[in-house]
Amino acid sequence: MDMQYGLGPLIVIVLALLGVSLQIRKISLVIALWVSMVLVATFVDMYASVFQGDWQDILLLVVTVLATTSAWDSIWFLREHEDIRVGRYYVWWALFWGALAAIVLAENLMVSWVAIEFSTLASGALVVEMGNRRALEAAWKYIVIASVGLALALIGIIFVYAGLRFQGLGWNTLAYSNLARHYHAIAPIVRGVATILIVSGIGTKVGLVPFHTWLPDAHSEAPSPVSGLLSGALLGLCLVTIERFVAAVPQPSTALLSGPHLLIFYGVLSITVGSLALLVQRDIKRLLAYSSIEQVGIMAIGFGIGTPLAEMAALLQLVFHAAIKSTLFYLSGHLSAAYHSKRLEKITGMAKTYPGLAISWSLGILALAGVPPLGLAYSEWIMLHAMWQMHQVWLIAVLSLALLVTFAALTYHLLSGLWGGLNFSVSGSQEDMEATSHGSSTAVVGGERA
Amino acid sequence: MAIAGFLVFAGAVGLLWSRNMVYGLLFLAMEGMALTIMVGSTERLSWAVAAIMAATLAIKVGLIPGSMYRVVSRWPTEFRQDQPLPFWAYPVAAGLLLAVGHVIQLLTPTGIILHRTLFFYGLASIHLGLLMIVSRRHVLSQVAALVGIENGLVVLAASVAGALPTFMEFGMLVDLLVAAAILVWMSHRIHHQFKTTDVVALRRLRG
Repeated sequence: MDMQYGLGPLIVIVLALLGVSLQIRKISLVIALWVSMVLVATFVDMYASVFQGDWQDILLLVVTVLATTSAWDSIWFLREHEDIRVGRYYVWWALFWGALAAIVLAENLMVSWVAIEFSTLASGALVVEMGNRRALEAAWKYIVIASVGLALALIGIIFVYAGLRFQGLGWNTLAYSNLARHYHAIAPIVRGVATILIVSGIGTKVGLVPFHTWLPDAHSEAPSPVSGLLSGALLGLCLVTIERFVAAVPQPSTALLSGPHLLIFYGVLSITVGSLALLVQRDIKRLLAYSSIEQVGIMAIGFGIGTPLAEMAALLQLVFHAAIKSTLFYLSGHLSAAYHSKRLEKITGMAKTYPGLAISWSLGILALAGVPPLGLAYSEWIMLHAMWQMHQVWLIAVLSLALLVTFAALTYHLLSGLWGGLNFSVSGSQEDMEATSHGSSTAVVGGERA
Repeated sequence: MAIAGFLVFAGAVGLLWSRNMVYGLLFLAMEGMALTIMVGSTERLSWAVAAIMAATLAIKVGLIPGSMYRVVSRWPTEFRQDQPLPFWAYPVAAGLLLAVGHVIQLLTPTGIILHRTLFFYGLASIHLGLLMIVSRRHVLSQVAALVGIENGLVVLAASVAGALPTFMEFGMLVDLLVAAAILVWMSHRIHHQFKTTDVVALRRLRG
């Protein structure tokens, strides 16, 4: 089972390098077909466990589905951005895919950390591939901030290892199963410090407020097929890693800054900031990025509440969000390419100009806004129900308000995108051009070629 | 081992204090050399330990400072200097070092700290690295700070765990190598595209 997850990305790297050296024109298509074959093999291999509700297999399937849709969207995207180096793009893309699969498969806290760090580096390099100054700036902030967060998490991991060093198990000390069995042996204060460092450190990678500053930049400047993977898969998987640690190394319920408390605290901040920020966004991809902050906030609260119903709601939210957000990021890339701008005030009248894209975009935005019967409405309702069961009235109030603001903001942007500004003529400013194009060909900033 | 830890701490102070990027790279190489010796002195010599020593020497003394020097040496002189350390950084540095003492007092009763002096050097180096990231403005200073933080982590690990498992050591080393390679490549591109090495120029996007 694990082999195909190593083999899948490895073959993509080989195909990408062969494609460059032999100048195969349809290499993107070949890669998309290969990734689709991996998806079919994965589904055949695990459909029984998926239908039995094995969450690790479900997450693996989600990663593979997203990798497949990303690979197919990359064909379209690379046609729109001909200056991107195809070989290098696919090498980093494959490493990113491999890192995502490794995060899901990891049974050891240290392996999870290494995989998350590699996902940062591979996805950061993919952001740089856009080639313009904005992408370079976004990638720099992303890698530096995420690396600092992960360094803090590593201090926590070292403390946990030190607390159990007497076992002499080597790196198996940090296996989640071993942590769950022997966490009592770690002094409570060490557990507490480690939890704060790990939740906040990996929380930086999740984009939880107040560690989120890199997220809107990186997600909005990344190639759209990569934004889909970043937002749809990576954020949720990092959150699941936090949840696995918090579940394996619990703290006394009297602890003030326990894992669940931190998750709820960061979650509330994230849904508040994420939903309010949606109201003032002017960039189509930043709109989706802030929506991701709000969505991971909801999931964090679910994991923080920790009842089986709340955790199921959080995982359902993760799966629905992965499908909807990745699709919306792909669509946003094509809309920005079609309008030569990422500015929302310029992406208008799409119902008339691009009806196909408009229908898909509308369905996605309505799903994100929580309109029934689309998926997120279902998981959000279960989440509210779980809160009600735990008598968390103030959480219900905060989440309800945030969902209301989100609905209002997203429907406003949707309606103005569909029917607003029909007299708009396509004439992107220099900044818009840079924001949507590969730097070496089109970006002209401050009188110099970017 | 304590001397190696002290050299890493001294390197962190030197990195923070130095404006000249070439001197900063010498401090990084010194830290790498000290860590190589420390790895050799913490455990009984075996093939795995020898491999970690060789990898530490190659990556932290050779590859990372070397690749950074290669980039710096191509830049005109004005891009090889960082801005002066802002005044607020001095009291913050002093506060962070004092905070390490408090952490040691807090954790000593738990028995987790094997070597208090080494713990001080490790955590202090991490704190100074974090301060360097927020107070220094040269792109390569930020890369050097990240490497310095990782060096501090190795010292901290030695002070609480004796030695880390081989997988963890290699995982951290390979991760650092890839991260440094990407960031040095990006530093080169930032200089090329922005015509500056000052991270203040990276404020077009607002989080």
